[in-house]
Amino acid sequence: MPLISLDHVARTFDTPAGPFTALRDVSLDIERGEFVTVIGQSGSGKSTLLGLLAGIDHPTSGTVHVAGTAVHTLSERAMSAWRGTAVGIVFQFFQLLPTLTALENVMLPMDFCGTFAARERRQRARQLLERVGVADQAHKLPHTLSGGQQQRVAIARALANEPPVLLADEPTGNLDSRTSAEVLALFDGLVREGQTLVMATHAPAARAYASRVVSLADGVVIGDEVHARA
Amino acid sequence: MPVPELSPRWRKVARDLWIHRARTVIVVLAIAIGIVGAGSVLATWAIVRDVVDRGYVASTPASGTITVDAVTPALLAVLRADPALGSVAAGRTVAARARGAGGWIGVRLFAREDLADGRIGRLRLEAGEWPVADDAIVIERSSLDLAPAGVGESLFVAVGEGAPVPLRVSGVARDVGLAPGWMEHVVYAFVTPAALARLGAGGHLDEIRFVTRDPALARDSIRRVASGLVAAIASSGGRVRDVDVPVPGKHIHADQMNSLLYTQAGFGILALILSALLALNLVEAMLAGQVREIAVMKAVGARPAQVAAMYLGVAGIMGVMASAIAIPASAAIGKAYAGFTAGMLNFDASTASVPVWVIVVQLAVGAVLPMLAAAVPVWRGSRLSVSAALRDFGVSARPEGTGWLTRLGGVSRPVLLSVRNAFRRRGRMARTLLTLAMGGAVFLGALNLKAGIRSAMDRTFDAMAYDLTLGIAPGVPVDSLEAALARVPGVRGAEAWSAASGVLVGAEGTWGSSLGLTGVPVGTRLVAIQPTSGRWLADGASREMVVSARQAEDEPALALGNTVTLRIGEVTSEWTIVGIAAGVLGSAWVSREALAAVTGDPGATRAAVDFAEDDVAAQATTRERVHAALSATPTQWGLTPLVGGLRVTSSRVADTRASIEDHLLMVAEFLSVMGWLMLVVGGLALASTMSLAVLERTREIGVLRAIGARHGAIHLVVQGEGLAVAVASWALAIPLSAPMGIVLGNAFGRIFFKTPVAIAPQWSGVAVWLGVVVVVSLLACAWPAVRATRVSARTALAYE
Repeated sequence: MPLISLDHVARTFDTPAGPFTALRDVSLDIERGEFVTVIGQSGSGKSTLLGLLAGIDHPTSGTVHVAGTAVHTLSERAMSAWRGTAVGIVFQFFQLLPTLTALENVMLPMDFCGTFAARERRQRARQLLERVGVADQAHKLPHTLSGGQQQRVAIARALANEPPVLLADEPTGNLDSRTSAEVLALFDGLVREGQTLVMATHAPAARAYASRVVSLADGVVIGDEVHARA
Repeated sequence: MPVPELSPRWRKVARDLWIHRARTVIVVLAIAIGIVGAGSVLATWAIVRDVVDRGYVASTPASGTITVDAVTPALLAVLRADPALGSVAAGRTVAARARGAGGWIGVRLFAREDLADGRIGRLRLEAGEWPVADDAIVIERSSLDLAPAGVGESLFVAVGEGAPVPLRVSGVARDVGLAPGWMEHVVYAFVTPAALARLGAGGHLDEIRFVTRDPALARDSIRRVASGLVAAIASSGGRVRDVDVPVPGKHIHADQMNSLLYTQAGFGILALILSALLALNLVEAMLAGQVREIAVMKAVGARPAQVAAMYLGVAGIMGVMASAIAIPASAAIGKAYAGFTAGMLNFDASTASVPVWVIVVQLAVGAVLPMLAAAVPVWRGSRLSVSAALRDFGVSARPEGTGWLTRLGGVSRPVLLSVRNAFRRRGRMARTLLTLAMGGAVFLGALNLKAGIRSAMDRTFDAMAYDLTLGIAPGVPVDSLEAALARVPGVRGAEAWSAASGVLVGAEGTWGSSLGLTGVPVGTRLVAIQPTSGRWLADGASREMVVSARQAEDEPALALGNTVTLRIGEVTSEWTIVGIAAGVLGSAWVSREALAAVTGDPGATRAAVDFAEDDVAAQATTRERVHAALSATPTQWGLTPLVGGLRVTSSRVADTRASIEDHLLMVAEFLSVMGWLMLVVGGLALASTMSLAVLERTREIGVLRAIGARHGAIHLVVQGEGLAVAVASWALAIPLSAPMGIVLGNAFGRIFFKTPVAIAPQWSGVAVWLGVVVVVSLLACAWPAVRATRVSARTALAYE
């Protein structure tokens, strides 16, 4: 059974200009350990697709299964609880909480989901920061970190509860090319360790790391290529 | 034991509060003020209730008092053998006067068989020692300031027109059963029967005070016991003149005090609720400003309940901080106000402390109320859709229905912008406006109430076209008295009246309440009472009576049109209530002629004197002359000097008015303080609202700066917005003060006058309040305006 399965999924938004369909009849299966990049132009439906996988949005029709859970059937409250342990999310603008240090930002998902014993959380957060290469920034507030450092902290936070799926929405969209390459290399390393990763991106360089490239245009899957990873 | 580590989410809460510490401090202060307002009244009520309940019961007040011609040892022995009675004691009350530096002052002497006997109406000696010598006097504590002599000094006391006799002030005692002497403008003092004899008043006692054996008897049962005693006294050859049975176990002013404190508590709670709205404003603004952070927290696994707990925690933490500040302050204020309130009841609250439960209640209310106030926006915020929040930029840029303001003509752009800004966050603006407006309404309501009290006092005392009342014993011929008084220089007019005490007799022949009767000529020139229902006395020969509204409420039998049976001396007669007059004075008015016909004594025992001069010093001189005139001519009344002449006491109407009015106004003043408290809360609300507005509009301010707005213009926009809210609150306060005034007028009138006080709007107060809110607005907006001028275009436009 695939780790992620979308079956005839559609998502339509009501806008002041009338209904707007961001995704139409999308069906997709993703296996454990895949590094999938979702590419397409702005407005093609990449972020909407990730939102449905992350359980922060509901499909208008169709079904979404992630890690054995029928996400489309979950209430808002149930989705919050599920999301904390089933998926880790990395945003384009990092979205670290500004009043918490890097270490505390990483501890936060464990705190909310009650994963790991309270006394272990700090240690685990420190290990994750070491894993992403910013352990020396652990006690700094986000605004004192560079964009690349913030995104590394955000990746550590996404990994905090050991989610089976990592979702990244334009994770390099706000970074320079050198830092983007570092972040992609970090993802590559995680996938090599067995992590499943779905990443929406504009970055052409990302294709080199992906095991599979799904192309979207106007909410429709127009390509699905399997790549051999380097 | 290691201190548990604060979890990241609660660190976030703490840091959010710290980062916005100026705003936090404002809200905490506002809540603290609200808690102080309500908490101090609660503390007062708790202390006073405790002191009065324990103190009054501990004094073993008399179940009843029977006045006879003279108490004999044989009579006492008969009564003490009565199985229904727990204890019996004899006493006597004598009106006297004491000579001081500024003239004479009224004294009420209480003589008892044994002043140290605490079985009935226990006196608490606060200075000096028991027993009291026959040449000594003990002053009641509440009249100490009025007494012309202190402990160890000699007080010159005269009974009637007898010569002043020096009595050594040997101590100070407290009698919780008496209204305070300073309130009554009379010196209460305790003496032995032998001391009365030294004063020429005779050493006999005429009051029998008793306590029933069963302490749980109701008033009617005690009245039946009293009727039995009356019969026993009559069969022993005694003559009963009066019977008084008060409501058992209840201090005479307890209801008034409770009503007063409940009214004040209402305003305290209002201040508390308004201050809690500030917590709502702050939490709502935090939620609006942290939409994206909430979404991120939910994206990483936070459940709605966890998010809600964090923001409710913000409100709760502010409430607990406010309680910590407020509780000591409210305890201190409550203790001081309890001292004043207990003092009005002649109780001592100086050693009382605020009960623990009052502190617990304040802490709980302080913590819970802000959370309750913030509950709805927190509930909404915690259920925010993550996808919508991450798409949105948090604070809405859409103005809320201010289109009509764009059509305002002839107004400068910054002013127009200010007014439009004020209406953008309508919920928050409404709460701030309401807080300020309620402060204004209470302030104006209290002001209107003070004017209403003065007007009610005017109506009561304007009906009394005389300056001095005289008590005269024994009675003297009416014509001679009026002629003698008319000859005194400085007297414009005088009328001879009579006075008697009657006891209401119930259907079964039981003795009810005592009623003071003042007999006046029906066509009196010195009394112009307009009854609020019924009419004034019309026929001198008829037994008609006009009672005060207070008497009518205390004794249901005294209803308009009722005929009541009164026992006056030995005679029982029927009287018809023809009128009910508003007012605070306690005597019922009857025809002098009709009263004389019942008592069989045509003599005048009271007189009213109208002075020609308004000057206080001149009136004091005339008063001395009146006393001298009545003292110099005892033979004129058919009395011999051996009898000791006339016993004349006098009291100034102005003193009576001042003693009542001062206390009513003092109570109204407390409400003004509540109004000021609410104003401070309102000012803090405005400061908090404007500081939030500046924070939320950083980008807009940056745009204004980018298009060339100078410091002055930015300042004007912020200050103008505050002024728009302040002026709107002022306009709202005026209509709100009307129902406020009606509530206050009803509550106060019913407590003190037994009829509502008519409230008249004080337009000068309205103008003053406008000035006050403008100043408060300028002060409240000063810091937010400075903050706004510090926003640079570069940082503001990069702000997100």
